[in-house]
Amino acid sequence: MSFVIRRIGFYLVAFLVAATVNFALPRLMPGNPIDIMFSQQNSTLTPEARQALVETFGFASGPLHLQFLDYMRSVFTGDLGYSIRFYPQKVNQVLAYALPWTLLLAGTATLLAFCLGSVIGAFAAWRRGGLLDAVATPLSLALQATPAVVIALTALFTFGVALKWLPTGYAFAPALDPAWSWDFISSVLLHGLMPVTSLMIVFVGGYLVTMRNNMIGQLGEDHVTMGLAKGLSDRRVQFNYAARNALLPSVTSLGLTLGAILGGSLVTEVVFNYPGLGQTLYIGIVTRDYPLIQGQLLIMTFATLLANLAVDLLYVFLDPRLRRA
Amino acid sequence: MFETLKVFLRNKKALMGLIIVLLYVALAVFGPMLLNVDPMQRVGRPHQPPNPDELLGTTRMGRDVFAQLIYGTRTSLAVGFFAGVIIVFIGTCLGIAAGYFGGWIDEVVSFFTNVVLVIPQLPLLLVIAAFMGQTNPAVIAIIIGMTSWAWGARVTRAQTLTLRNREYILASELIGERPLRMIFVELLPNLLSIIGFNFIGSVTYTIITQATLEFLGLGNPMSVSWGTMLYHAQNASAITVGAWWEVLVPALAVAGIGVGLSLLNFGVDEISNPRLRTLGTVAAAIKAQNKLDKQRLAESRS
Repeated sequence: MSFVIRRIGFYLVAFLVAATVNFALPRLMPGNPIDIMFSQQNSTLTPEARQALVETFGFASGPLHLQFLDYMRSVFTGDLGYSIRFYPQKVNQVLAYALPWTLLLAGTATLLAFCLGSVIGAFAAWRRGGLLDAVATPLSLALQATPAVVIALTALFTFGVALKWLPTGYAFAPALDPAWSWDFISSVLLHGLMPVTSLMIVFVGGYLVTMRNNMIGQLGEDHVTMGLAKGLSDRRVQFNYAARNALLPSVTSLGLTLGAILGGSLVTEVVFNYPGLGQTLYIGIVTRDYPLIQGQLLIMTFATLLANLAVDLLYVFLDPRLRRA
Repeated sequence: MFETLKVFLRNKKALMGLIIVLLYVALAVFGPMLLNVDPMQRVGRPHQPPNPDELLGTTRMGRDVFAQLIYGTRTSLAVGFFAGVIIVFIGTCLGIAAGYFGGWIDEVVSFFTNVVLVIPQLPLLLVIAAFMGQTNPAVIAIIIGMTSWAWGARVTRAQTLTLRNREYILASELIGERPLRMIFVELLPNLLSIIGFNFIGSVTYTIITQATLEFLGLGNPMSVSWGTMLYHAQNASAITVGAWWEVLVPALAVAGIGVGLSLLNFGVDEISNPRLRTLGTVAAAIKAQNKLDKQRLAESRS
């Protein structure tokens, strides 16, 4: 139990650090933060209109430590201010609409990549030097080093534009209204197929190689030799003796790659015009909507930390040694 | 030295990786000298497919994709190399400091390393780049370098810790060697392989990340790199209008260097850890062993 509490404390501090960076960044840049915020609109704004905007968007003036306290209060009450691009919507409204799509995209892709990578990795290691190992391992190395942009663009061109098999954008057909109907769900699945698959392909390689290398390490251990000597079936030794232990470091790497997956999801969403956080962030960057961009960093950090905590809990479940400690 | 090189070149993955990376480096260094044109110049009509005049076609602005590719290679590799140096420098300094000195230094450094490690990198980079406005390649290299050292620091610290408890380190400590000498003469040479891994991995990461940042429109659109090529292609809807060359060329360039660098990394990994080898290397090892056996058999008979 103390393990879990310590982890929660750690993530809390990590979140505070991210929030502080978020607070400090606009204030560290040369010039007035408010000028930077409204640089896009400055040429067309009268001073009065600008003043009104500044007040609406809640850029407190006054001593820095008071600004900081104000900012922290708004962060912890979940009030991220107004979006400039989507005014009069608040940043949280914009993000709340986008978040489920990103969770769907990144979550499905992560789960699939992790399961597929671990299973193939386990088999590749069991028959080291076999056909599967000779094909899958170098291939996943190549995939691992290919950026998400490249895979997404290639998939979009091949299946979306050249073959016209799959839709090239959006999360569902624009004519449909969100509802629990078969039409809507099948449309979501069809539109999600290409983004999810291309994101999965980016990350499956990493899990495969990790699992394979851990598993090879495990196969040299005494308990595996013992299991084989006892005459247990190959499958039992492979999964219950070797793979189970080899999975632990994989779970650690799952936690550490969550941030990268979120990053990959950002790019994939932009390419496929998918209405998640990445697409919103892209719009925010193009229109220089700073409150929106800052809100994104916070919500993404929060999501990553939460997912990391979930991985930690999973770890407690998988590793009995931690339960006793 | 020569022997090490031979072992290295016998590994097919490492050799392939090395060849790919050297090709890219040669292209980046000599390409612009040989070509000597302005990659931003209009040379033909927009969106011309590959033809003898424009080897890889033209962009929507009528710029030569081939010239852009050559000059872009130089920018992208330079950024990767520069940021790689920064990442390795920070990571190694912090890792050694934490691992060697221990105590409160270790506590503080490890804590911050772990915090940086769990904060998602790309969104953080995006926010920094967005506030910097139009960022040129050098600035991108610096911000990637300053935010991506955590993994290297963690690995270096772990390796330093295991070295720290070796007998030869304890022995030199008993002789009374100064910490600086300990770090540079006793520790650093034994950390070289880890530092090398860190460097290759960081260069790969930087090249990918730079391309991503610029693709999202956070680079300077007037600079020529793979990322800005992708950005312009996306803005010109090159994919939808069927101008695949404008997208595929920079995309393959990024993928190619990534594959080359990771093959190099994995090859080195295999050499240092023989258990990881795959089919070809295992077969080669068995062959070599058989040959040796026969030789010994022949010797023992004669």
